[in-house]
Amino acid sequence: MKKPAWLNVERRPAASGRLVFAVSIIAILAALVVAGIFFQIYGVSPVRAYQVILKGALGSWLGLTETVRRAIPLLLIGVGLTIAFRALFWNIGAEGQLLMGAIAAAGVALFSGLPGPLLLPVMFIAGFAGGAAWGLIPAVLKVKLGINDVITTLMMNYIAIYLMEWLIHGPWKGPTARGFAYTDQFPRAAWLPTLYGTRIHWPTLVLGLLLALVMYILVTRTRSGFEIRVVGENPDAARFAGISQLKTTLLVMFIAGGFAGLAGVGEVAGIHHKLLGPLNISMGYGYTAIIVAWLARRNPLAVIITSFLFAIIISGGDVIKVSLGLPFQLINVFNGLILFFLIGSEVFIRYKASFSFRRQ
Amino acid sequence: MGWEMWIITTLSRTLAYGTPLLLGTLGEIYTERSGVLNLGVEGMMIMGAYSAFTTAYITGNPWLGILVGGVIGGIFSLIHAFASVTLKANQVVSGLSLTMLGLGLSGVLGRGWEGKPLPNPIPAITVPGLSKIPILGPILFEGQNLLVYLTILLVPLLWYILYRTRIGITIRSVGESPATADSLGINVDRVRYLCVLVGGVLAGVAGGYLSVAYRPAWTEGMTAGMGWIVIALTIFAFWNPAHGMLGAYFFGALYILSFRLQPWISPEFLKAMPYAFAILVLVVVSRGTLQKRMGAPAALSVPYTRGEE
Amino acid sequence: MKTRFAVVTLVAMAVVFSLATVAMAKEYVPGDPLKVGFIYVGPIGDLGWSYAHNEARLICEATFPWLETVYVESVSEGSEGLYIDKLIQDEGCDVVFTTSFGFMDGTLDAALRHPDQIFAHCSGFKRNDNMMTYMADFYQIYYLNGLMAGALTETNKVAYIGAFPIPEVKRHMDAYTVGVREVNPDADVHIRWIYEWFSPPAAKEAAQALIADGCDVFAFTEDSPTIVQEAAASGYASFGHYSPMYDFSPDHIVSGQIAHWEAIYLDFLAKVYAGVYTAHNLANVDYWWLLQEKAVEMGAKPGMLINPVYDDQLKAVTVDDPVLGTISVYDLVLKRLEQMSDPSMVFDPFNGPIYDRDGNLKVPAGLRLSVFELTTMDWAVDGLVGPWE
Repeated sequence: MKKPAWLNVERRPAASGRLVFAVSIIAILAALVVAGIFFQIYGVSPVRAYQVILKGALGSWLGLTETVRRAIPLLLIGVGLTIAFRALFWNIGAEGQLLMGAIAAAGVALFSGLPGPLLLPVMFIAGFAGGAAWGLIPAVLKVKLGINDVITTLMMNYIAIYLMEWLIHGPWKGPTARGFAYTDQFPRAAWLPTLYGTRIHWPTLVLGLLLALVMYILVTRTRSGFEIRVVGENPDAARFAGISQLKTTLLVMFIAGGFAGLAGVGEVAGIHHKLLGPLNISMGYGYTAIIVAWLARRNPLAVIITSFLFAIIISGGDVIKVSLGLPFQLINVFNGLILFFLIGSEVFIRYKASFSFRRQ
Repeated sequence: MGWEMWIITTLSRTLAYGTPLLLGTLGEIYTERSGVLNLGVEGMMIMGAYSAFTTAYITGNPWLGILVGGVIGGIFSLIHAFASVTLKANQVVSGLSLTMLGLGLSGVLGRGWEGKPLPNPIPAITVPGLSKIPILGPILFEGQNLLVYLTILLVPLLWYILYRTRIGITIRSVGESPATADSLGINVDRVRYLCVLVGGVLAGVAGGYLSVAYRPAWTEGMTAGMGWIVIALTIFAFWNPAHGMLGAYFFGALYILSFRLQPWISPEFLKAMPYAFAILVLVVVSRGTLQKRMGAPAALSVPYTRGEE
Repeated sequence: MKTRFAVVTLVAMAVVFSLATVAMAKEYVPGDPLKVGFIYVGPIGDLGWSYAHNEARLICEATFPWLETVYVESVSEGSEGLYIDKLIQDEGCDVVFTTSFGFMDGTLDAALRHPDQIFAHCSGFKRNDNMMTYMADFYQIYYLNGLMAGALTETNKVAYIGAFPIPEVKRHMDAYTVGVREVNPDADVHIRWIYEWFSPPAAKEAAQALIADGCDVFAFTEDSPTIVQEAAASGYASFGHYSPMYDFSPDHIVSGQIAHWEAIYLDFLAKVYAGVYTAHNLANVDYWWLLQEKAVEMGAKPGMLINPVYDDQLKAVTVDDPVLGTISVYDLVLKRLEQMSDPSMVFDPFNGPIYDRDGNLKVPAGLRLSVFELTTMDWAVDGLVGPWE
């Protein structure tokens, strides 16, 4: 594309946080305006639609708590993904890692025979291990064999989905499920406590917030974090400095997979209390979290905000389904539009335009 | 029914089900060969399915529907091309957003269309004479449709273009080393746009096939993850159209068999096979010299900016 | 410092504000306008299960001027809790119907959470003071369809494509097979599972798989007309399911099962309106409604029991019945229909002796199956061939 002579475009050396924030907000607002057109097509005024959404997602106790609840898995997975993305490991496999964590937790809850108080802690450990193991496989494949991480993590998602389906149709089908494809309900001791009257399984929430903080410290103040950043920003320099690509990649996927596994534990121990159809558990959180992490510009603390933002959108989708009778799929249109505006806005962040009308 | 008939009907169904897989794969092969990773195939396929169905329903002409499906898929892919090539944005995010957008848009627009039967689907053909050929006849020439045949013909055509023509070399060099291609005067951006467009059009046609020929109806989310299998298939095929054909029919056969063999083999096992195979194949190939000849385009998913390498 | 303070204050305000909106939903007063919510597991356009429930909802709204309804479609199992809460708190519903087995635990939790609201769960077995269960079951009709299938098959191989291996589907398969075997002791019923309620491509391939195995008459439990169309494309007969599917194949559809959920809905809602049913006396209310209550109907479209195209074929095949003598299948079907629609249910398909396919006697002579045994049915009648899980 030829640029007109009076337009100078140069790369911006480093974008200030404020600029990034401002541009992102503008992009999101622009997306909301365009999405408003769809509401209009259905005969609902965009203003009224957004009013209903905000009220439904934030303006009532039920709405607010549901939004927070939706944010929990997004937060956990998002934090893990920021670490992986920092090392340029494109983990698309969070869905599968979440499911493996759920499977591990279910296995402990249903079959381990552990005494009550031990169940939940062991479930979390097992869930972390399950997700981490699932994430480490693509990591090894990338470092040892040079296989593209996007592809392997994506494929592993489906393997995890069918593994869970096989379990709930076959060996793990619950006798009390009367032939339906579910496991038995977990024993009560394996149920996460929720904030009174809500669906917020707060231990997982607390865990997520804590881990966000810990990861922020890891990335900014520890040696491992430094190594991760170098591997991501300048792989050649990393090699010269003797930083082990293998160790770093394994570490980030251990974290990212493990955190996704924890999210899986939260979903089955806090919300469903059994295993059901995999897509009913993972609900696309693994994919949405990619955007949550990307939007947070790989800052673990910022994930707290972006996960909440996307939780509002998902919650909004529930609202329009019930109150406006609009198809839930509108939310995917929403998400897609927001993403595209954000992608488009990247240009403004990465490049600086200046005008010069003097003859060159 | 004897063994022979069982195999024949299985292969015949495989041909029918494998066609959209093959179409999508051929398109994605071209896209990825030029160095652009398109994870938005599912979104393009379903938009193709929706637009093809509604066009065919309204105009009564299923072929027009297929055409429109391809066009819509192409337009969608241009969004991805713009984001990936011009804006040099993250291709993974761009592709995923397209999938989301496509699924969402088709779900929203398609709401009133569910359950409407298509009065004029693409007709099933039985070729007189040819269908009497033992074994091959009933598989290839009975109950298939024109689109199946066109797809099969596309394979040698696209293979030839990719490996034996100047255009093909251009595409492949852009995907392997855009800097080199650029220094030779090739317009990297234009080549990539073109390849992404080809991928989008074929994905749209594949979706149209589903809603106008295979199972003439519209259902929300009807592509049911076929787009992701296409992405797996592209790797499985080593980015080679000829292997793509084998792979598409092989994966198609696995799906068909998951019903036929249900009394004996767990269907989940068979359904997971395409994905596990893709990984397996990559592992096998990555060892040793095969990598050089059959590996991924070196510049896959890396945006190219002149002077920035 | 300032920003942190501002953020904390804002959050505190948000929490306090939203707490203030916790409305305690009130208990319904009989005679007041009634607002009812419906939760569907699939899209209302599926022309199957959810479609039928929605049609019934529309009939209720048209019948009762004091009734207002709202619905939520495509609710995935496991998510029903929050939609129930929204229906009650945001939409002010007094009664909520949840129309899928998978919603059972979620509905029960909601019933415990909202003791003043009324809940009704379809096809389940857990109840509460404010939660009843209901089901319009097809097993009698599947038996009648089976009689016809046994008469029409020329290969002695009949197909049944099921969604999930749950008692409801197994019960229907068993009833169908009892019917098939009564007319044609040499015929087998071949099974395939789809593992989804709604999946046209899977239904298509499953049908093709059974066609390849030699089946020529098709019955199914799947929420789309796909199998009707697939069978018809090969010239084979089929039975519609749940919604009138006649239009999809006027030449090849024999009969089918049609649900009239409105029979149950109208009865229940009228009783709620009159104060007969409240949020305190539902623990033993279980609508197990069949032909005699007119909750279900046989046919490919309302009013057409058997497709006239098949009349001659059905009249040409005869059966020797110990009670009725030698009778054509056509007349047998009508006779049995009459017997089962009789309030005293003169006939039941599961009259003993009935053996399962391993040779065990499951229903002794002279006995029938209880409702409990029907709703937990897990065994395969002799004559069923194929995977059972």
